[in-house]
Amino acid sequence: MVIDTHVHPGFLEELEISDEQLKYAQNMMGLHKTHRIRLEHWEKACRCAEIDKLFLLPLDLTTTTGGYLGTNEQVAEAVAINPQRFIGFASVDPAREDALEVLKKAFVELKLCGLKLHPSKQKFYPDDTKMDKIYELCIEYNKPIIFHSGVSMEPDTLTKYAHPLRFEEVAARFPKLRFCLAHFGWPWVREVCMLMLKYRNVYTDTAFLYFDNPKEFYAQSFGVDIGPYWIERSLRHQVMFGSDEPRLEQIRMIKAIREMNLRESTKEMILGGNALDFLKGGREHD
Amino acid sequence: MIDKNEITLVTNKYNELLPLGDRIKKLVEGSPIKNGILYVITKHTTTGITVNERLECLEDDILSYFEKEIPENGFYYHARFLDSYGAMAGNPTGHLKAMLCGSHCIFPVTDGELSLGSAQEIYLAEFDGPQERTVSITIMGEE
Repeated sequence: MVIDTHVHPGFLEELEISDEQLKYAQNMMGLHKTHRIRLEHWEKACRCAEIDKLFLLPLDLTTTTGGYLGTNEQVAEAVAINPQRFIGFASVDPAREDALEVLKKAFVELKLCGLKLHPSKQKFYPDDTKMDKIYELCIEYNKPIIFHSGVSMEPDTLTKYAHPLRFEEVAARFPKLRFCLAHFGWPWVREVCMLMLKYRNVYTDTAFLYFDNPKEFYAQSFGVDIGPYWIERSLRHQVMFGSDEPRLEQIRMIKAIREMNLRESTKEMILGGNALDFLKGGREHD
Repeated sequence: MIDKNEITLVTNKYNELLPLGDRIKKLVEGSPIKNGILYVITKHTTTGITVNERLECLEDDILSYFEKEIPENGFYYHARFLDSYGAMAGNPTGHLKAMLCGSHCIFPVTDGELSLGSAQEIYLAEFDGPQERTVSITIMGEE
């Protein structure tokens, strides 16, 4: 089972996004030349990349810019169209007065599998105690959170909100909350390794490419910026494959992961096994 | 007279040769122009248009040739963040292969039919797929 844990649904044509919603997605994500993406395209891309399932990560920006990058309902609709391919996540703007109701509905009625939050875009600090109720709800329903972490290249985003160290208190105070610091918290990859080593409820993903090509960038990030054996020996249960589609591209990203000098069993975990543990809560590893 | 058409499709692979001849023949047969010139032009910079014999072995050799000349693991400048796209430039091989391949082909239209040679096939060459692609088909001539 190969799972891409980081895919943005805001451009999917079958969700019948309006022209206004498309323009909003382009502006909010800074993807100025990305247009509607047909489901047929994703199906073929998944076949080429030998990917079985995709996590769809929408984003609720109602209190900051008055819109959505895919709504929870649209994600549930996509899952209904192709339940074999899609694993739907929810999103909620934490500043909404009805945030808890929205999230509860997403988990109970829409059957979404987790929560996506973007501190830099939604403008909150993850260790703010105002977030506690949301974290408690996720624990109550056994749903993981995928946080954007590290730099964001999207417009109107400040990195200070998503620095990996702003997540330590969350990991410490909510040990039963599984959460992913997406994009490996780049450029703070060592800090993310520290958090994963210290807190086994912290995961990360490989959806990061800011210089060079995927093979070169991963060689720098996983072989120079951190020790070349850190993942293999100590963190292999907590790293998940993610592509950041459509900003980055699945085929070249996953090829670089498959060519990494890791044991096959480690690659299997990164490419899918860890994502399944992340969703449901897997066994603990010493 | 000018008869403008487009063919839009989603390609299947990262690199592939997709035969377009049958679709183009149908457009020619349905066109009011009986004698003239047909232009097949890709609207993309990581695809090409080429003409060759439709044999599996040749299709494989052609793609292998491009891969050998422009390897995925080569060093390219076009591997950096582009502000105008808000995304990484990750497809230098697609651009270079498209340049080598060429973007168009031209054929005569005679008595309402496409004048292809017996061994000739018109291909859309995909070098950065799968993606939705559009090819412009323009026929210029007389009714």
